[in-house]
Amino acid sequence: MSEHSFDSAVEEVSNSMHPGASAGAESNRSRWKRVGTVALGGALVAFGLRRRSLGGTVLALVGGALSYRTLSDYLSDAGGTEPVERSITIDKPADELSDLARDPENLERIVGHFADVSAVGDERYRWSAAGPLARELSWEMEITTDESGERLRWETVDDDASGALFDAWSLSFDSAPGDRGTEVTLEVRLDPPGGTAGSAAVERLDVVPESLVGTALDRFKSLAETGTVPTTENRPSARGRGDLL
Amino acid sequence: MRALTWHGEKDVRVSEVPRPEIVEPTDAIVEITATAICGSDLHLYNDRMPGMREGDVLGHEPMGEVVETGDEVENLEVGDRVVVPFTISCGSCWFCEEDLYSLCDNSNPNAEMARKMMGQSPAGLFGYSHLLGGYAGGQAEYLRVPYADVGPIKIESDVPDEQVLFLSDVFPTGYMAAENADIEPEDTVAVWGCGPVGQFAVQSAQMMGANQVIAIDRVPERLEMAGTHGDAETINYEHADVYDQLMSMTGGRGPDRCIDAVGTEAHGTGLDGVSDRVKEGAKLQDDRPYVLREAIKCCRKGGTLSVPGVYLGRANVPFGPLMNKALTVKTGQTHMQRYLDPLLGKIEEGEIDPSFIISHQVGLEDGPEMYQTFNDKEDDCIKVVMTP
Ligand SMILES: [Zn+2]
Ligand SMILES: [Zn+2]
Repeated sequence: MSEHSFDSAVEEVSNSMHPGASAGAESNRSRWKRVGTVALGGALVAFGLRRRSLGGTVLALVGGALSYRTLSDYLSDAGGTEPVERSITIDKPADELSDLARDPENLERIVGHFADVSAVGDERYRWSAAGPLARELSWEMEITTDESGERLRWETVDDDASGALFDAWSLSFDSAPGDRGTEVTLEVRLDPPGGTAGSAAVERLDVVPESLVGTALDRFKSLAETGTVPTTENRPSARGRGDLL
Repeated sequence: MRALTWHGEKDVRVSEVPRPEIVEPTDAIVEITATAICGSDLHLYNDRMPGMREGDVLGHEPMGEVVETGDEVENLEVGDRVVVPFTISCGSCWFCEEDLYSLCDNSNPNAEMARKMMGQSPAGLFGYSHLLGGYAGGQAEYLRVPYADVGPIKIESDVPDEQVLFLSDVFPTGYMAAENADIEPEDTVAVWGCGPVGQFAVQSAQMMGANQVIAIDRVPERLEMAGTHGDAETINYEHADVYDQLMSMTGGRGPDRCIDAVGTEAHGTGLDGVSDRVKEGAKLQDDRPYVLREAIKCCRKGGTLSVPGVYLGRANVPFGPLMNKALTVKTGQTHMQRYLDPLLGKIEEGEIDPSFIISHQVGLEDGPEMYQTFNDKEDDCIKVVMTP
């Protein structure tokens, strides 16, 4: 990736975080550039940093400029159906993990960085997420595959007026070598509002699917291994400008 | 409560911030009785570490008294006197179970961010950027300590704060640096940097039975300290060529074990130093790996290079010499919990009194000024301890 495209990617992310950029945006943008250049080096950039408005859930994962781009590309090329997949190794047996993930309260904690989840029926869950444009997304998912310790899959069943963020959320479990526990793979098929022509919509939502999926897996792992999800909420910090990085 | 907060390059302020609260049942709140400024805080002070936000509370070398515990905390009680290590570790993941605490899988809430930059995320740290967790630091009246059963070590004897405080970072870090150097009895060990970590690396190398320890710096009082407290021979790199000097001290072999206790902000001299500054200015590199390059050049063939110094990004390192000379490199943030008990034992038995490194003791309100003094290496400043 050339220096130029890197910078413009960083700028793109920066702009998306500051719609209606004001006087402060210039310095912020150059800070992004500088930070980007400093931080990244050969590695791919970008920091997806969660922002949570008081009380509500905000779907505002930013970062991964490159993945962001990749997403836009495939949304326009492939029609928005390509799943995003990530794996993590969790030091617990597969049965325990699939039980944990099925429980709506736990699921709520796992996806708490971008969505609220509640049970509405035996194997039916209501998901909701809010974007920065205060657009409320809400949709229902149902367990369509339930092979304990092997596979769990939810699919969106009623895509009501406010729309679904994705149409499938599926977990698979394989045993890891040695004493390392279970390899958990999360696959999410995005179905952003706007459907196949939805890249613009996804841009407005600031969704970086890889970051969203990666963080969900991190939270799943922490919950399974420690009983808590690490947080810095209520910390005396993060006030003021230039707070992205 | 009052805390030292970060606001950008060379801008540290005393601020009034909300007092931390228990968030998870495994948290504890510690009222800070002593807290230090670390050399690696200078990377934040000079705005070289990405991931800082205005208002972030600084500090990762604190100790104090437990004033509140979450429902699930078992090892600590209100009233306990504790030193809090700078790494945050969950105690339950594979890495924690393998004693690789600074590589904890679960303690960085921003792991995704760190993963994008490094491939995998290390542990979260107190007061050390959002890339490494975004946790508030301990240069404050109170500190929230996550996974409180895993990190803090209880001090049950009446050794004063000044003697045990450095268990929070620089003593174990210097010790692990020496351990990582794989020192054997007849070895010559060279230590670049005579700040606190370097001082403890020198003394630890002696404890591990090194035959000869050579300390390298440019600040006379630091060199003197390494000589008197650490029984080291010294090289002032402003007055002598380090390579030539080391070769003449080791019969042309080079030191068997080399420790870079400087890290990214090395002040190189001559052409290399200038070239680092140019590349840095042009954003062609993120670090000033001057010491790393010099250590690779000086180290004995087949020797060991131990790097406790903090690097931040891509350092321009001569990999050819490293490979052709068959050097072993060991590095990493300190696996603190491994060292707390044994090193506390050494302090309590009087084998070492770490308070020798303290040059300044002030109140928290003098923090901003002390950051500047320490950064500028003025007033013989080696280690600042603050009492909130
Ligand atoms: Zn430190
Ligand atoms: Zn851990």
